[in-house]
Order: sequence, then structure tokens, then C-alpha cells
Amino acid sequence: MSELQELYQSLILDHNRSPRNFGVLEGADRHAEGYNPLCGDQVKVEVKLDGDRVTDIKFSGNGCAISKASASLMTAAVKGKTVAEARTLFDGFHAMVTGHGDQVDTKALGKLAIFAGVAEFPVRVKCATLAWHTLRDAIK
Amino acid sequence: MIERVTFEKVTYAPIPARFEAGTPPVAEVIGLGVALDWLMGLDRAALALHEQDLLTHATARLQGIPGVTIHGNAPGKVSVLAFTVDGIHPHDIGTVLDRHGVAVRAGHHCAQPLMRHLGVPATARAAFAAYSTREEAELLAGGIEAAQRMFS
Repeated sequence: MSELQELYQSLILDHNRSPRNFGVLEGADRHAEGYNPLCGDQVKVEVKLDGDRVTDIKFSGNGCAISKASASLMTAAVKGKTVAEARTLFDGFHAMVTGHGDQVDTKALGKLAIFAGVAEFPVRVKCATLAWHTLRDAIK
Repeated sequence: MIERVTFEKVTYAPIPARFEAGTPPVAEVIGLGVALDWLMGLDRAALALHEQDLLTHATARLQGIPGVTIHGNAPGKVSVLAFTVDGIHPHDIGTVLDRHGVAVRAGHHCAQPLMRHLGVPATARAAFAAYSTREEAELLAGGIEAAQRMFS
């Protein structure tokens, strides 16, 4: 598989076309907005918390396929997780896309491991992590 | 630049030398000189025609691709081609084109109000120069079509 196909795998293209948990979350407890001034991507992440647990999450905004698919898969991955578990996921995800995948257990990342190909495209790392940075701001 | 540095104290050189950081860009200056010599040795009128020919050719080629919109068609514009492709973000276009050997700039081009006016989040922009060729214009068009197949 070429690096390009590795980056734009069908699961990523699918989440770009039909993003999950996309829209406005009524009654959200927390929210944050993220913006990448270099490319103009923007994302809003809204979260409902029950104690320390993420019971619901939605995102909105616009961006490239990588940022949109990453936000979509992120919301699916952290729903039902505790804040601490979400942070651990982000740490692993961040290490993987910045080329330190050998230091993380990519199995623990589940579907998020599909973004491993981003490491070959350093300028796209910010696209893949924008939603995660925004989530971190929302639940800090 | 500094005059004298110790662990306790730094004395800077007088203005303007204090604002000069380290080695000047020697290699860059020599490179620019060589590029200017090369450029001045060319027929400037023929050069302008060459760039316009590439622009005309690439414009016609991209206009023939369904889903491609060219932004900015002022008469007599320089040889740049800003465009968007339906359903594909310009940054994804940029990455796909890069892998086809074509470097474009993707983003808001330091012109966010213009992007808002055009109703697009960003555009991709190709530029043709003296050293560009029709084959490369064809690579651009082929790369856009490949991106469309990939994202269809």
C-alpha cells in the first residue's frame, strides 16, 4: 500500500463523508473551540459529563478529511470513558501520529490506530490532533 | 551580536550590530545571485509568453474537470491558478498532489476575508514559472482527477 493509501484508508474516508457525533450537543456541560490558524480548520467539541465520565460528546466545525475523520473517531472512542482514560488515549494517539508509535501499544488505541499513516506526513499531524487538543481543553 | 559574555553578564554590540544574529545568509545570497544571473540571461518577453501559455493551458484543462472551480479570472493576471474541488478540502488536495510530484499551496493564503467572500474555507493554488512545463500542468490535472477518484 502506498503512503497515500495508508493515509486515506477507507475508514478515514468514510468518517469524512459521514462523521459520527456531528452537530450541536444540547445541554453540554463543557465545551471548547480549537482553531488552526495556518490552515483555517476549526472545530468545536461539546461534552456531557456524569462525574468523571464522558456520557455524550459531539463536534462541529469544518476542516480537511483528516481532521474531520479524526474528530469523528475521537468522539466514538471517548464516549463512555472517564476523563483520565480519554487523556491516556490522547497520549497514545499523539505519540503514534508524531512517529513514536513504537513506544505505544497501538492495540489499546483500537480503531484510532488507523491514523498511524499520519506519521509519514508531518504537516498533517496538526490536522489529526486538532480535535484531541480541543477535547483536552474542554475537560481540563 | 555580543561584545562579551560571562555567566554573570552580557554586553551587546552597539546598534546596529546587536540586531545581527550570527552568520549572515551567505549561501542564500550566492544562490540568489546565480538565480538572478540565470533569469537576466533569458528573453523576458518570451518568458512572460511561456508563463501565460502554461496558465491558459492549465486553466482550460482544469475547467474541463467536473467539480473543479477556478477562483480569480481577472484578465492579464499573473500565472497563478487558485482552485477548489467539490467535496475535497484543499489540504487533502495538496497532500495528494504532493505525492504526484506537484507542489501547490493550500490554505487561506493570508487572505481570510477573501476566502469568506468566496464562500470557501481555503483554496489550493498552483503557480507557473520559467522552469514549469506543460507536462507538469498535466500532472496537476491528473493529480486532481486521482484525488477525485480517491474521495469518490
